[in-house]
Amino acid sequence: MTLIRGRVWKFGDNISADNGIIQYSQVPDLDTFDIPALKAMCFAELQPNFRAEARPGDVVVAGRNFGHHSHQHACVAMKECGVAACVVESTDSAFIRKALNIGLPIIVCPGVTSLAEQGDELSADLATGEIRNVKTGATRHARPFSERMIDIWRAGGFSRAMRLKLMPQVAEPVRRGTRYGI
Amino acid sequence: MGQTVAQKIIARAAGRDAVEAGEYVTVSPDYTCCQELAWQTRKRMMQEIGVDRVARPDKVIMVVDHTTSAAMGSAYHVNHREMKDFAFRNGVDNFFGAGSGLRHLVLTERGFARPGLLVFSDEPNIASIGALGALNIAVSSEVVATQIGDENWMLVPKSARVTLTGKLAPGVLTRDFAQILIRDYAQTDTLSQSCIEFVGPALAGLSLDERQCLLACAYHTGADTALMPVDDLALDYVRNRAQGRPFHLLESDADAVYAHEASYDLSTVSPMVTVPPELHGAVQVENVAGLAIHQAAIGSCANNRLDDLRGAAAILRGQRIDRAVTMYITPGSREVYAQAAAEGLLNVFMDAGATVLAPGCTTCWGYEGVLSDGEVQISTHQMNYHGRNGSRSARSYLASPYVVAASAVAGRIADPRPLLADASRRLS
Repeated sequence: MTLIRGRVWKFGDNISADNGIIQYSQVPDLDTFDIPALKAMCFAELQPNFRAEARPGDVVVAGRNFGHHSHQHACVAMKECGVAACVVESTDSAFIRKALNIGLPIIVCPGVTSLAEQGDELSADLATGEIRNVKTGATRHARPFSERMIDIWRAGGFSRAMRLKLMPQVAEPVRRGTRYGI
Repeated sequence: MGQTVAQKIIARAAGRDAVEAGEYVTVSPDYTCCQELAWQTRKRMMQEIGVDRVARPDKVIMVVDHTTSAAMGSAYHVNHREMKDFAFRNGVDNFFGAGSGLRHLVLTERGFARPGLLVFSDEPNIASIGALGALNIAVSSEVVATQIGDENWMLVPKSARVTLTGKLAPGVLTRDFAQILIRDYAQTDTLSQSCIEFVGPALAGLSLDERQCLLACAYHTGADTALMPVDDLALDYVRNRAQGRPFHLLESDADAVYAHEASYDLSTVSPMVTVPPELHGAVQVENVAGLAIHQAAIGSCANNRLDDLRGAAAILRGQRIDRAVTMYITPGSREVYAQAAAEGLLNVFMDAGATVLAPGCTTCWGYEGVLSDGEVQISTHQMNYHGRNGSRSARSYLASPYVVAASAVAGRIADPRPLLADASRRLS
């Protein structure tokens, strides 16, 4: 199963990671990741109701240049708010990596902003790259994730995927919301 | 369909005949290279995985470069110790301690950066190794953990081709051109997820140091990485350093696909200054000349090589820096430091009143040369955002070693060309 389906929160172009998704300069403890603080500031400047109304499994749709100049804290903030995936017009490779390292897929899909509006149901298949508006049935195609990336997503992050691969018999979940090994 | 050099390098590391731009592939990089600053997060990741050993210690290169001495009040001495212990415990021969130099220079000088090789590192500016035909891909916290399984995923970047013609005028360096390129692209996503291939007749007129400067700045255009074709100059350098280790001479196919093409005439470039706090704020030096400065710094992975120090010395020889200015000069490696000493460059800097620091990143990220409220710095650093070098109310202007040295002498931002012309008159 490589399908993600969720309710859309829609954002525009040039959403900075450090001065948009979160306010990096206001993160109280950069080293240990202050989860309550990161959750509280997630998209707060762009959609003030995000924090109160975001539900686990929601999907972020955004325009060009999403998450540029990023620190991983922005990925942690989205993940901890329950965001299941980001589907964006364009982003940079480093941001995709930082997000996938903690199990959050960022999918580059040109045309997605004309496919889905705020509140729509969107589905994204990581293996096929098919992005679908559930209500209208309209689709766009993104680059499929590789098998290795899907393993990381399934496991919830790079560390857990490595642990499962090396020691499947003893693997236990990396605790969420405590410390990020990033 | 034809393949670019970058695609061929990735295909080889993926065990494939060809790869497609935009595709996600699994590769086994030839080396992974990391520094000490984020060691605690690297370690935490290993602990989460439950492994403290790497499968391929021969592929790991660890360099202490950001904190060149474990200073009082700094926590980084712990990282120095723990990284060294990790390297020794794992049989990692390629651990380079404080003062060895930046990863960028360690990779080239010690023969790790060779044509056709794929290097995963923890910094995009290490694209400087593309001057020798090696491809740098910046990864994240998993830079050490990648070597547990000797593999990781990566995106095959689109290829962009930037053709360079013409010859730089006296007093102008590739640094000036890099600042123009960043100005032109940094606010767009044109080069997003791209590898820039710099080509064209102008390359032959650029030293390897000058080429590495341009490549080290390329990431700030928005590109993932960058490289250049390997010519005889690069190949001679590699052969002298490779110690017999293999490399792969690759060329882009004639029918390779480029997602973006541009060309620049280097003869039209003049000395530039990038105005803080954004990297795209490059203007010609005339626009900001006369602004009083408190600090001047030459160093960083963009401009810490021998040609940069020679350039600074050409300006500073027989001059004194302004009494209001503190000047730091940081050679990029122990080899550059020693060669600068042998050529008498260090004496020039001492006589001018500058301070030479131990090889490393030093002032570029504010570990040394910390700025106070309201101070103005001009430097060859890579970043200029508020707070990068200390106080958030300090301002950091970016420029070439010529502009920085001339400004140090004047006590204000200055065009280096008159001083250089004087210097060449004195010599003749």
